[in-house]
Amino acid sequence: MQKYEKLDKIGEGTYGTVFKAKNRETLEIVALKRVRLDDDDEGVPSSALREICLLKELKHKNIVRLYDVLHSDKKLVLVFEHCDQDLKKYFDSLNGEIDPNVVKSFMYQLLRGLAFCHSHNVLHRDLKPQNLLINKNGELKLADFGLARAFGIPVKCYSAEVVTLWYRPPDVLFGAKLYTTSIDMWSAGCIFAELINYYLCCLELANAGRPLFPGSDVDDQLKRIFKLLGTPTDETWPNMTTLPDFKPMPMYQPNMTLVQVVPKSTIKMRDLLQRLLVCNPSHRISAEQAMSHIYFADINLLPK
Amino acid sequence: MAGNFWQSSHYQQWILDKQDLVRERQLDLQILSEEEYQKIGIFFSNFIQILGEQLKLKQQVIATATVYFKRFYARNSLKCIDPLLLSPTCVFLASKVEEFGVISNSRLITTCQTVCMYLFYFIVLCCILHFFVVKNKLNYAYTQEFPYRTNHILECEFYLLENLDCCLIVFQPYRPLLQLVQDIGQHEDQLLALAWRVVNDSLRTDLSLLYPPYQIAIGCLQIACVIMQKDLKSWFAELNVDIDKIQEISRYIINLFELWKSYDEKKDIQGLLNKMPKPKLQPTR
Repeated sequence: MQKYEKLDKIGEGTYGTVFKAKNRETLEIVALKRVRLDDDDEGVPSSALREICLLKELKHKNIVRLYDVLHSDKKLVLVFEHCDQDLKKYFDSLNGEIDPNVVKSFMYQLLRGLAFCHSHNVLHRDLKPQNLLINKNGELKLADFGLARAFGIPVKCYSAEVVTLWYRPPDVLFGAKLYTTSIDMWSAGCIFAELINYYLCCLELANAGRPLFPGSDVDDQLKRIFKLLGTPTDETWPNMTTLPDFKPMPMYQPNMTLVQVVPKSTIKMRDLLQRLLVCNPSHRISAEQAMSHIYFADINLLPK
Repeated sequence: MAGNFWQSSHYQQWILDKQDLVRERQLDLQILSEEEYQKIGIFFSNFIQILGEQLKLKQQVIATATVYFKRFYARNSLKCIDPLLLSPTCVFLASKVEEFGVISNSRLITTCQTVCMYLFYFIVLCCILHFFVVKNKLNYAYTQEFPYRTNHILECEFYLLENLDCCLIVFQPYRPLLQLVQDIGQHEDQLLALAWRVVNDSLRTDLSLLYPPYQIAIGCLQIACVIMQKDLKSWFAELNVDIDKIQEISRYIINLFELWKSYDEKKDIQGLLNKMPKPKLQPTR
């Protein structure tokens, strides 16, 4: 631990506090995530183990790097690559200015990171703007793989803060236990809508910079989704009623169009969004397919 | 996670060289012969297997635990940590990583106690049968009680994690084996069952430290074919693999079988455990 000089506290992660720190030898800035070991019986929490073992395998420019794991007197400290901010803070720091090319670049990098995870059979399962880190060069990196588990996403995280439902697909909200890569694609869609709206922030539109479906509980979350996309039927989603927590929902007809929710988005943007935000998980587009969507035909990933 | 093996930490960090393995074990091999060392390895692999079965873990989890155990002692002397403590720790860690869910530590200790007690009576019985040991010569490991507690396992977990360099995802031969057998044909259940058992046996060798799992799968399949007297030569010939490597793997397994034939664990293990290098500090009971 002497190797690092602790600087500011960055935030609270799923299982512990995150600090910014400086490597005393190389002067490199890193992020230290301290793992709390409160539970006497569990040892190293499985969420931390999961993050450690996945990041040890997933080395990609759009996935945050785990440099080191330190052990010191019953504490475990994970040393991560430091990024200046997460997407949420990035939004907050902008004064309504986000270049449409940056939107495209972020979305493409998000999909590229996801495609890599999915090709390694890893699901992130908890994508949200806070888990997407942005560095000075405009590079986006997926972070916080701590909530990724095989069965059942915990509803509460370590600090008893409720895990947000806003980026969860309807199948998961209905209690689906068998997750597939489609879970991340829904979240990517929600984030995409938020990105587009942020870009429109400068046009002073009402939805600017707000989550697409800011539900307050599972019920509210589902209603918000179905109000926009229409309540799925047996035809559009055959197995829906067999999901563990399925309950009949009001039959909303899609009375709003995407244009109303993401006003002034281009046709290409809406087309991609429409392929991501599909209630039936088996009809959602994959990360690989999304990357070759026409919206990205003129992608320019040069650092800004 | 069954991603790309060639990009994995398993391939990049943990496929070791035979010579390195011998070098790392030098300290232990001053005290034990290579065969004795192997017998101790077999004994603790069995211990992990029994523990896992008692805890109703899947074979995949048991295999991962065994590989952790192997990797640890590929870099450390037996003196470093008592294998009787490291074995349950490997099971504990593997069950979390393989997403079996956390097994409660107290349940783990109770199971260790049961298994140890069983081993204890087993060994006492054998000793009596062989008239060669006085009771007080029985080693610490086989006193009636399992000497370790939760805090030992939690402490050991850190140490294990560090020594594994946090490489926790282990590829196993089971999945490639399934694919290979599927490729052979439809009704090969018997062949699969036998080859599966040979893969389990291979965990008692150094194979998991030396060869990629798909090669081990092919080697085990070949052994199974020989045992069943099944001629699949042309099928094997079409596989795009390094035949020499497969032969080496087969040899490891045949050597294991030979060793088993001539080896009476019940009779020998106690002497071996007494001879085994041990940590200076023993837990107080």
